[in-house]
Amino acid sequence: MSASVEQSLEVKKRGLTSRPVIGTLILIGGMIGLIIAIGISVSIGAAEIDVKTVWSAVFQYDSALVPHQIIQETRLPRVLGAALVGASLAVSGSIMQGMTRNPLADPGLLGLNAGAAFMLAICFAFFPGLPYMYLILFAFLGAALGAGIVFGIGSIAKGGLTPMRLVLAGAAVTALLVALSEGIAIYHRIAQDLAFWNAGGVSGTKWENLQIMAPWVLLAILGAIVLSKSITLLSLGDEVAVGLGQQTGKIKLFGTIIILILAGAAVSVVGAVGFVGLIIPHITRFIVGHDYRWIIPGSAVLGGVLVVLADLAARMVNPPQETPIGALIAIIGVPFFLYLTRKGGKEL
Amino acid sequence: MSSLAVEQVKVGYSNLMIIDDLSVEIPEKKITTIVGANGCGKSTLLKAIARILKTRKGTVYLDGRSIQLLPTKEIAKKMAILPQSSDTPPGLTVFELISYGRFPHQQGFGSLKMDDLKHINWAIEVTGLSEMRDRSVEALSGGQRQRVWIAMALAQDTDILILDEPTTYLDLAHQLEILFLLQKLNEEEGRTIVMVLHDLNHASRFSHNLIAMRNGAIVEEGTPEKVMTRSNLKAIFDIEATMSVCPHSANPIYLSYTLHKLSEHTLQKENKKSG
Amino acid sequence: MIDKPYVSTYQQSRQKRKIYTILLILLLTVIAFIISMNTGFIRLSPMELLETLLGMGTEKQNLTLFEFRLPRIVISVLVGIGLALSGCVLQGVSGNALADPGILGINAGAGLAVVLFISFFPTTSDVPVLFLPILAFVGAGVTAAVIYALAYKRGEGITPTRLLLTGIAIAAGISAAMIILTLRLTPDNYQFVAVWLAGSIWGSNWMFVLSVLPWLLILIPYVFIKARVLNTLNLGEVTATGLGVNIEKERLLLLAAAVALAGASVAVSGGIGFVGLIGPHLARQLVGGKHQFVIPASAAIGALLLLSADTIGRWLIEPSEIPAGIVVSVIGAPYFLYLLAKSKA
Repeated sequence: MSASVEQSLEVKKRGLTSRPVIGTLILIGGMIGLIIAIGISVSIGAAEIDVKTVWSAVFQYDSALVPHQIIQETRLPRVLGAALVGASLAVSGSIMQGMTRNPLADPGLLGLNAGAAFMLAICFAFFPGLPYMYLILFAFLGAALGAGIVFGIGSIAKGGLTPMRLVLAGAAVTALLVALSEGIAIYHRIAQDLAFWNAGGVSGTKWENLQIMAPWVLLAILGAIVLSKSITLLSLGDEVAVGLGQQTGKIKLFGTIIILILAGAAVSVVGAVGFVGLIIPHITRFIVGHDYRWIIPGSAVLGGVLVVLADLAARMVNPPQETPIGALIAIIGVPFFLYLTRKGGKEL
Repeated sequence: MSSLAVEQVKVGYSNLMIIDDLSVEIPEKKITTIVGANGCGKSTLLKAIARILKTRKGTVYLDGRSIQLLPTKEIAKKMAILPQSSDTPPGLTVFELISYGRFPHQQGFGSLKMDDLKHINWAIEVTGLSEMRDRSVEALSGGQRQRVWIAMALAQDTDILILDEPTTYLDLAHQLEILFLLQKLNEEEGRTIVMVLHDLNHASRFSHNLIAMRNGAIVEEGTPEKVMTRSNLKAIFDIEATMSVCPHSANPIYLSYTLHKLSEHTLQKENKKSG
Repeated sequence: MIDKPYVSTYQQSRQKRKIYTILLILLLTVIAFIISMNTGFIRLSPMELLETLLGMGTEKQNLTLFEFRLPRIVISVLVGIGLALSGCVLQGVSGNALADPGILGINAGAGLAVVLFISFFPTTSDVPVLFLPILAFVGAGVTAAVIYALAYKRGEGITPTRLLLTGIAIAAGISAAMIILTLRLTPDNYQFVAVWLAGSIWGSNWMFVLSVLPWLLILIPYVFIKARVLNTLNLGEVTATGLGVNIEKERLLLLAAAVALAGASVAVSGGIGFVGLIGPHLARQLVGGKHQFVIPASAAIGALLLLSADTIGRWLIEPSEIPAGIVVSVIGAPYFLYLLAKSKA
């Protein structure tokens, strides 16, 4: 393509389009949608419980009533966990996409899941019977390990962290960690246990988990919103950002820390769920424009809605069995990824 | 000798047509240069001639036969292409890379025959690469590398050479080296050369025939005297040029130029200096 | 024109060095072959080995060598060659040094076919061993066709990057489908699938050898003949067209060859990654960029690599064993990352 046409396309593509009115609407609408989704999700399950009871269970809890117990002890933490996981994955995905200028970046593609699974394999094989709390902690460490290697390799290389390199480094680290966990799993005959854990979704979420996870996640999302203006500038290119007086190194460091906290927390609770971090930022960007001040909070809300609904579907598709939530989301996610790959220009 | 003609060609990219209906004949055994502003379609025309871009309508004729119907290997024996940029694969010596130019003449596994070696050695000699024939291509400078690519096209042993901006990224002396080489090939071997150049003065100095384009159409075509005029340059580039004559070739060149449409501020500044 | 055809002495010695390098790798493969015959739960001393080979072994020795070890060793060699050549072709066609049959979803496709079969016919435990290779081959072929179709865009054809990313996406989708399927398997079937997916050669018999061999006998010469085309494809699309290569056609044929090579290999070995990546890379570092040398060197390195990995996997935790695919990944992935870190943008 001739240089001038390319330039004009570039300007159009990178052009800063912010739509505050639509952004506000999406935030408010998304919030309402999230609350409705949580309400529906809490009331539907093995035991049908009407909305009125849900309301009273939350606000006038009576431990003598069985429905109240079900809601308080099982459903509510699970659904809130789903919302938090969705928000974490979506926000970490959008930061990743903004910072790397890579529309295909997603925490699941970057070794986080494989890292978590690897640590779990070690736990299952060498410390069987480890309490759930410790498993989550180790999964988190594993996720950090996987992502650390991917980002590390990507950044050491000459020419820095290109989109292609990040995706490939992610694929390689994933392969390595998967091979190691496979080895451990086959040797100790724990392969299927691991698969169950990975596919388990949010069903095991308890209040204690939320107590640990929620403050971190909320703080990290807050941090992401604070960083959002700088991420918008970074998404225009490092040189532009430096030109506008940004300390790109610092922003990338903080951004990476936030990604790790969010994605690590999410993966440790929900297992291998890809594509939330990929799809949601794209949908949000499509609606609110390229301003990360709107993309990040918008992603948080929409991500929450998606995972709450996916968790609901996981329970409803084949009751009383639970369909793996990661697989359900992948069914939407893969076609979407393919669509992006086709739509993207030569740089993809 | 091989002849080239373009007839009523429509060509462009997937959803953006650059050239709508263009016909032109490329004179045999002459140097023809296509010039024009950015995005005018000069590279597109060159790529259509070289069969890199498929034409939507119309035909490019090589020796009177449609280029779309000829086997691509047959075309490669008559026409070599030097693109704006090529990928340099790692781990090759100059000799090895230039030997790739023999592709259309080879069969099977591709061991080099006497005839292949003759042409490769000649190409190395004529591009002045004898000293570095065993060097790794990756270790060469930009100008040297460009000569290697030209040598590869020469090893292809074709009547027609098509070059897309062969002097871009080269410094002044290296630009001339390449152009002298092309001139020599044309004069001594009678090869037809078609190229795109950004430097108008070089185009005028080294070409027999100029094709000036704007918005996907030909504005003027013919000898440098005919094409390189004040009024044509205004029509092609929107510039006001001060013309002169090249002391080396006696063809017209521009000394300096200013924009046709100037802003108030720039106009005053320019007038002050010249007044 | 210069009359005397001339090749510099440097060029000649460079050529010779490359040939010697390839011969050296072949020699190492032969050594690995001999060591591998000695490795295993039942020890055979070099003397016993020689006797058995000459037909003077005991019944037990004969059984161990001819029915268990030799087919397995031969399969390692064949699969190593197949995967390395497949990677070599894929890297040449895509112009991307990081392409590999595993990354292109071929392994995942074969795996899905196997898992599908086992989850629908879990009781026919004797049939699968002979039936699996065919199934895996079909799975790999279908996946590759789907990836090609999805990466194809009218007017542009296939761009290498799009092909790679489409492959990654399809592989991700297939793993999601596998999660659902594998959870329903019985623990024993699951263990079987897990070992198969990890890439193991333990089930090999002469039938397997016979099912891979024809593919290799046809495709290896084909790839060798296409060495020149692969050379030109490396120069970029425009240059290759200028040299008279019909890019669309050659790409499609070469991709099909690569898929067939990988498919046939994965069918008998399970999901072995990284041989297709490392083989060609090491080959290029050792013998330069010309495919006339890269292709044979890749094949030799692939054979050596997989044979060594299988032997190590067998020896490391005797009497149990580690699937060769895991050994290869554990060596291969770090090397891949090293290359990635070293590569320029």
